[in-house]
Amino acid sequence: MTFFEKQLKEGVFQICYCKNCNNVLWPPKEICHICYEKTDWRKSMNVGTIAEFSKKDSTYFGLIEIDDGIRVLGEISCSSEPSIGQSVKMIVSLDTRPHYSFIVENN
Amino acid sequence: MNRVAIVGTGQTKFSKEDGCTEKLLFESANKCIQSTKNCDSNDIDGVLVSTNDDSKYMGAILSEMVGIQPKISHSIEHLCSSGTSAIISAYSYISSGLSDVVLISGVESATNPGQVLKWDKSRGSLEHPIYWASMLTKSHKRKFHTTEEELAIVSAKNHKHAIDNPLAYSNEPKTISEVMNSKQITDDLRILDCSRSCSGSSSILLASEEKAKKISEQLVWITGIGQKTTSASFTKNILDEIKSTRIAANSAYEMANIRPEQVDVAEVHDAFSICELMAISELGIVSNEKSGEFVRNLFNTENRMINPRGGLIGAGHPLGATGISQTIEITNQLQGKSEKRQIPNAETGLIHNMSAAGTSSSVMVLEN
Repeated sequence: MTFFEKQLKEGVFQICYCKNCNNVLWPPKEICHICYEKTDWRKSMNVGTIAEFSKKDSTYFGLIEIDDGIRVLGEISCSSEPSIGQSVKMIVSLDTRPHYSFIVENN
Repeated sequence: MNRVAIVGTGQTKFSKEDGCTEKLLFESANKCIQSTKNCDSNDIDGVLVSTNDDSKYMGAILSEMVGIQPKISHSIEHLCSSGTSAIISAYSYISSGLSDVVLISGVESATNPGQVLKWDKSRGSLEHPIYWASMLTKSHKRKFHTTEEELAIVSAKNHKHAIDNPLAYSNEPKTISEVMNSKQITDDLRILDCSRSCSGSSSILLASEEKAKKISEQLVWITGIGQKTTSASFTKNILDEIKSTRIAANSAYEMANIRPEQVDVAEVHDAFSICELMAISELGIVSNEKSGEFVRNLFNTENRMINPRGGLIGAGHPLGATGISQTIEITNQLQGKSEKRQIPNAETGLIHNMSAAGTSSSVMVLEN
């Protein structure tokens, strides 16, 4: 299991970045493909905005942009229909696949 | 560079049932070789197999099965556009002079486990293609005011075309209303908006100009090729465009020295209804805003210009075979052999095949 996956299992989304050129590397990798320096990690702020959404059965899901332009697909928990640009809080976990869940704030 | 022609074709029926890949490959490859009048198996010096199956060494296995000892043999995997990737590889071998005659056979089994892109962690647990297709559909509706009915027309049209394709997995007609009332998969996708995984195999034979003129009397030339990969992760896409298709199409048009208006017939990659609307725009055939209206007009006038075979939605989608089957359809159209599906006086045809939410596209132009 990779460091990223171990951290997901602990509920932490780690963002991989290059210490030299400061670029964010997604998906994570050990070496920066721009300057070939070793990469490092910082914890996500666990907030994002909804770029697009739809609904399957009774659950909303969507494309969410989190820190530094990283975009992931995940389920959205909300009490009414979400909207584009709405702020969300991220919760992550891992079993056989990563799980990204988002809670709409002030919904 | 040597010119490259299509000189033979062969296909199996596409089916929802599970199938043995080796048996299917053998059937389509044999039909392909038999479709030529003057080709000896010994003339074939390249054998490429396109598949997402986990089987190994398929190029060599197919060579042995058909009794060929080629110079070049290997398999090619590139998800849904494996078929055109294999054809373009064969083109390169021939045009460079490394090979003279290449057999390209694509195959898939309906239950093949190798069709999911597990690498893409950005999809999280939502790895099934219905999730990205829903995002593309919702975004297109939002930006271009695309309606549910316009999306349903894509499916109704392609199912209608597939009625006249005896090799399609289904020959059942579907009305616009049946599509719109079919099982809802997500708020933005119905079951009849989706192509389905199938078993099937398609084979095609390419040859250099010198060999082609000996093998076939009705040559179809590959005159334009464009390919582009923008990423592997779906989440790096801009939702309302398929950039890889636009770039690949421009390269193919430039190589063939044609404009999009000169395309008489096209097979485009309608993995989902939304993909056809987006593809015809990125190929320069119509604007995004008018793509729904364009398809509605094709349907109402029974014009089969786009996806005469039935597309992926109507004919089925055996991943490794799809791009080859699309190319065979355009070849038949340019040879005037498409019977009920024939576009009158077709001289220039186009194939558009893409992978993983359009992160990679291949476009080919064929001319007779």
